[in-house]
Formats: sequence, C-alpha cells, structure tokens
Amino acid sequence: MKDAMILLIEDERQIRRFVRGALEKESLRVSEAETLREGLLEAGRCQPELVILDLGLPDGDGSRFVADFRAWSSAPVLVLSARSTEHDKIGVLDAGADDYLTKPFSIGELLARVRALLRRGRGRPDTEAARVVFGEVEVDFSLHRVQRRGEAVRLTPLEYRLLAVLAANAGKVMTHRQLLQAVWGQATGDNSHYLRIYVGHLRHKLEDDPAQPRHFLTETGVGYRFQL
Amino acid sequence: MSSSILLTEDRKRSAGGRYGLAVLACGVVVLGLLPFRTHLDLPNTVMFFLLTVVVVALMAGRGPAVLASVLGVALFDFLFVPPRFSFEVSHAPHLLTFAVMLVVSLIVGQLTAGLRAQAREAARRERVARGLYGLARELAGAMVVEQVDESVARFLQDQWQAPCRLLLPAPDEGLRAVGERSGPFLDAGSALLTQARSGLRPLRVPAGGGSGHLHALPLAGATRNRGVLMVVLEEDDDDIGPLLAVLAALVSTAVERLHFVEVAQAAQLEAESARLRSSILSALSHDVRTPLTALYGLADSLVVGPPPLPDEARDIAGAIRDQALRVNGMVGNLLDMARLQSGPVRLRKEWQPVEEVVGASLQLLGRALDGHPLRVLGLATLPLLEFDAVLIERVFCNLLENAAKYSPPGSPIVLSAIAGPSMVELQVASGGDGFPPDKLDKVFGLFERGQPETAVPGMGIGLAICRAIVEAHGGRIRAFNPAEGGGCVAFCLPLGNPPPIESEMLEPETLPVQGEGT
Repeated sequence: MKDAMILLIEDERQIRRFVRGALEKESLRVSEAETLREGLLEAGRCQPELVILDLGLPDGDGSRFVADFRAWSSAPVLVLSARSTEHDKIGVLDAGADDYLTKPFSIGELLARVRALLRRGRGRPDTEAARVVFGEVEVDFSLHRVQRRGEAVRLTPLEYRLLAVLAANAGKVMTHRQLLQAVWGQATGDNSHYLRIYVGHLRHKLEDDPAQPRHFLTETGVGYRFQL
Repeated sequence: MSSSILLTEDRKRSAGGRYGLAVLACGVVVLGLLPFRTHLDLPNTVMFFLLTVVVVALMAGRGPAVLASVLGVALFDFLFVPPRFSFEVSHAPHLLTFAVMLVVSLIVGQLTAGLRAQAREAARRERVARGLYGLARELAGAMVVEQVDESVARFLQDQWQAPCRLLLPAPDEGLRAVGERSGPFLDAGSALLTQARSGLRPLRVPAGGGSGHLHALPLAGATRNRGVLMVVLEEDDDDIGPLLAVLAALVSTAVERLHFVEVAQAAQLEAESARLRSSILSALSHDVRTPLTALYGLADSLVVGPPPLPDEARDIAGAIRDQALRVNGMVGNLLDMARLQSGPVRLRKEWQPVEEVVGASLQLLGRALDGHPLRVLGLATLPLLEFDAVLIERVFCNLLENAAKYSPPGSPIVLSAIAGPSMVELQVASGGDGFPPDKLDKVFGLFERGQPETAVPGMGIGLAICRAIVEAHGGRIRAFNPAEGGGCVAFCLPLGNPPPIESEMLEPETLPVQGEGT
C-alpha cells in the first residue's frame, strides 16, 4: 500500500489540507485537483491507484467524471458526499464509483476506506478467491459449500448467488440496481423487494444478530455493502 | 323561390295572415280572369285556379292551400260556370269537373306544401348544424370557462333566443354559476341540480317564471360529472333532445379539457417549486457542511496525528471535533425539518423489512447507544411494509438516540413491534423517569423539549421530525409512560398489501452430507 498514488479532487482547500495530511502520514503520495476538468487531466498524468472525489464540485456532475475515468482505468473511486439526497450517491455508484463517505468524516473512517479500496485495487484477482471467511462463516465457492461454526448452512440458489456477488465485491457499496442486475439479471423496479428479502435471509442464516448485522450492511436508500 | 325567403316570410306572418293570403290570391285570380271570361274556355280557367293553389301552398302552407282549393272550386262554379251567380249545376258532367278539380287542387296543394315544409326543415337543420359547428370551433379555442359560457349563451340566443346558465363543480363539492348572467327562471332548486348531476339523462321540467320548459343537461366527463348546463326553451319538440345532447357533449368536452389543462398546470407548478425547494436546500446543505467537514477533519487530524500534542491541547482538539459533529447533527435536523415543512413530502416508498432499517439505524448511531443494552423484539416476523427507508431510518435514529440520552446509563432500551389488523406499531421504550405527564401531547411540537431544565443537549426538533415523517406515511405517533416505568414512543405504519413473494426451494447440493451421518 505504501507509495500508492492517490488523486484528491476537492474544491475546498481546508478539506484537501487535512485529507492530504492524513494520507501522507500513511506514506501515500497525493496529487490534488480542484475541478473535474483538472481532475481528469491530472488523472491521465499521474495514473492514480485511487481517486477521492468530492461530489459537490462546481463544474459538474461527479457521475460524468466517473464514467469518463472508468473508460480507461479500473482504479477504485471513493466519493465524498455532502448531499443528504441519496439520488446523487446512487448515480455516481452506478456510474462505477466504489464507495462513498458522508461528510463530515473522521480521519479514522477515511483511512479505513482508503486501505480497503487499495487492497481491493491491488489484489483484484484475490477478490475472486475460492474461499471466503467472515465471522464464524466459511464459504468455499469451489466446493459450493457454506458452513457456519463448522456446520453446513443450506442456501437457495438465489441466496447463494447473492452471497457470491456480495463476496466478490467485498468492501464495495453495491447499489440495489447493480445487485438486481447481477443476481436476477434485470434491474426492474417490481422485484426490488426480493433483494431485501434475500439479504434478510442471508442475515438470518449467517449473522449472529440479524437486527444488528456486522457483515451484510445496509446503505439505506442506496444499496448494500458486504464487509469481511 | 329559395327556402330562406320562405322561412323569413313564414316567420313574419301569423296564421290569420296566411289564410288571408289564400283568400286574397283567389280574389286576384278571379278579378284577373273575369274580363277575359268570354275568351277563355272553362278548362283554361281551371288551370289558373290550380296555379293559384300551388302558389298559395308554396307561400302559406297546407291549411291555406286547402282553403284555396275549396274557395277556387266554389268561385269557379259561382262565377264562371253557367248558370252564373248560382251554385246550381245545369250540366251534369260539370259535377265531375268540380270533383276532379277539387281532388287535383287538394293533392297538388298538399304535395307542394309538403315540399315547402321539407325545404324549411332542411334549412332549419342546416342553420343549427352551422351554429353547432361554429360553437365547436369556438369551444376548441376557449382558454377559460367564461369563454365557454359566453359561446354557449350566444349560440342558444342565436338559435332559439334561449337563456342559459353553465354550472360547474365548486371546490366545496357544490355547483357554482359561471358568468354574471341572471334570470329568475334559471334559479332551479338544488334538488333538481343534484338529480341532474348524479344522472346521465337530461331533465325537463316546466320553467318556473314563464312559459316553456327548463332543461337541465348533465355534462358527463370521461371519469366524472363536470357540471350542469341549464337551458330554458319557449317551445320545444321531440327533435330538440338529440340537439341538446350534442350541445351538452360539446360543452362537457370543453369543460373537461380546461379542467385537465388546469390540473396539468398545477402539477407542473408544483413540480417546479418542489425542484426549486430541493435544490435550495441541497445547496444550503452543501455550503454548511463543507466548512463543518473541514473543521471536524482538521480537529481530528490534531487528535490522531503525530507529532503528539500535549494532553491538554489534545483534549481541546477532541472537544472541537465533537462540537463540530454536534453542530453538524443540528444542521442536519434543521435541514430535515425545513425539507419536511416546506411542502408535500416526496416519499420514495418501497416494500422492505423493518428489521433492515433498524439494523441500518443502529449501525449509523454507532457508539451513541453505548452503555444501554438493546433488546429487539418481534421484528423478524413482521411482514414487509411500504415506506421511505431513508426517512424511517431517521425516525429510528432519533427515537433510539433520545432513548439513550434521556435514560440513566446502563438502563436497557427495548425496541418492539406489534402487528395489528391494519397497522404495525413500533415501540421504543427506555428506562428513567419517562416523559413529564403533562407534556405527553406536546413533545412532538417543534422546539418543544420534555425536560427544559435538563443539561442534556438538544433542540426539541427530533420528535417533531419523527411526527412529520410518520404522518407523511399515513401513520400516527404517540408518547406514553408505561406502567412498568420509563418512557416510550410508539408509532404505527399502515400494513397495506405487500407484493407476493414466490418462495424458492433449497438447493440440495449446498448441503454436504459429510459430518451429518456420524
């Protein structure tokens, strides 16, 4: 993770200042941009391994930037969002951003997200590992086997597929639309309650306390995040 | 002779005048023929009398034609057929002549008069059709109901000199008259109006003030009644019914079109103002949160970052950070309240389990509930409910945070759900003293605090937000102090009809046999 190049696109100088400080203390290299235009140019120049993007930039729409950036780079994008409307977040996540952080955020939260995303970015092949372990659960995708506390857990085909998609995108926020597309093959509105029901099933089968999940986390109004 | 001339002449002339015309015509013919009596033979004379009958029939109609026929035969006999000046018949074949002449006169007269009546009817229909066409064109261009009313009034005035009044639904479910025209005969009883409005058929009653009949025509729209058109006609016949039906259809189309234009404009205006409100609020939210983010982050970087600060400076930096977070929470609440109060709340409702939102709220609250053991009861078995997850998450966050804030450390918080026949009630109960009994109704008011003298920070806005959100969902919220002590806030959400769920079979292969048998 050391020496990774991080592009920070944020128009507020004081926010750039403390974010830069926090990242540099982690021995990360930081490049800055104030606008989306500048950000795109800078991204082409410095080839970042992670982009931190403010969603409230004056010169346009963050999801346009993400779509443009995704055209040539698969580096993770972390969005800083000050808006309370979920709509903007969904738009930028659907466009290809990986995660978001709601302002104001602590340095601890920021670094945790940055580390998780850099791990994902660096070890992309590993994320499709055949074996995933979280909590007391062990999933072996090659054997098609799910165990909790050493005992087999029975899943339906859709539950299994949902678990596989979430596990392959661990640490990343998946919007409802993305999950419906990946598991059900279509993102129409009339089956969106199925997604919620199936996530509920997974929680009841795999979480210690389904009402206070630790792995299948809800991003209300946006989607889900699977956390190892 | 064109039919329109016939019509105008006919209209001017009374019945007596028309019969007078018949007599006059016969007189003129007699006077014209007498000087030439010796030069004309009788058959020629008969021809002139027949011609007279045709002319009278054309000009004056059936009755006068009959009169002219009879008069013609009588005069012919009296003045032209010998013996003259007597009705005696000297020559027997003359009797046959008179009979044939009378029959021919009557037939020719009736045929001619029938032709005339048909021409007259056709002209009348054409005039009405043209009038209706003109009305339809005017109504298609009408921009307000007053124009509709004016056009209809003018049409009825031109066609039948009939007064009318257009009555449209009023906001209070009654009917209001369009325009200022008045007429005592149009003031029908409300019973008649109600009857006309609820039915589809026109009603016809004797007009109150004068002669003629009052017609109450319901304006049937595509989905519902659009009002009543009242017309008073001095004289009407069976033909008028279909015409009035066409008129009512034209008017109701116009009124309905204007109604939908109005609805569309109102919706557009509403959407526009909602968009404006929401963009102002999100700009405000961005502008306020940006410096707060900087403040919070900079203070945090002092707390966490090396080089280590002296203990006191570190504490101060931590305090600045925590206060920034508190201001952020207050700003969030204020903006939420502004959003909820600035107009109808736009809900993004979806069917979802309550348990999920509770989990998300607990995740969001993080350490705010530390020291309060939480028990969650009855959530897993609830059916899906339809709600806006972001807003209901706020309700749970506010209620749980309040429960933690206003109860002694270590006391448990219980979140429970009870499904009723049409509602699901969700309760958040905490220990402590509960709400002041005299303030149970007031705690949901804006800037109202249960315990004004307490040192617990807050603005008295959280419960007001909860109430606005719950009520926007069609639910209710209440506060009470349970018998076993402490305080409790309960809110209910409607059950509704959840979408069907097809259950899925368990996948057999996911069950490895190993480890089960032995």
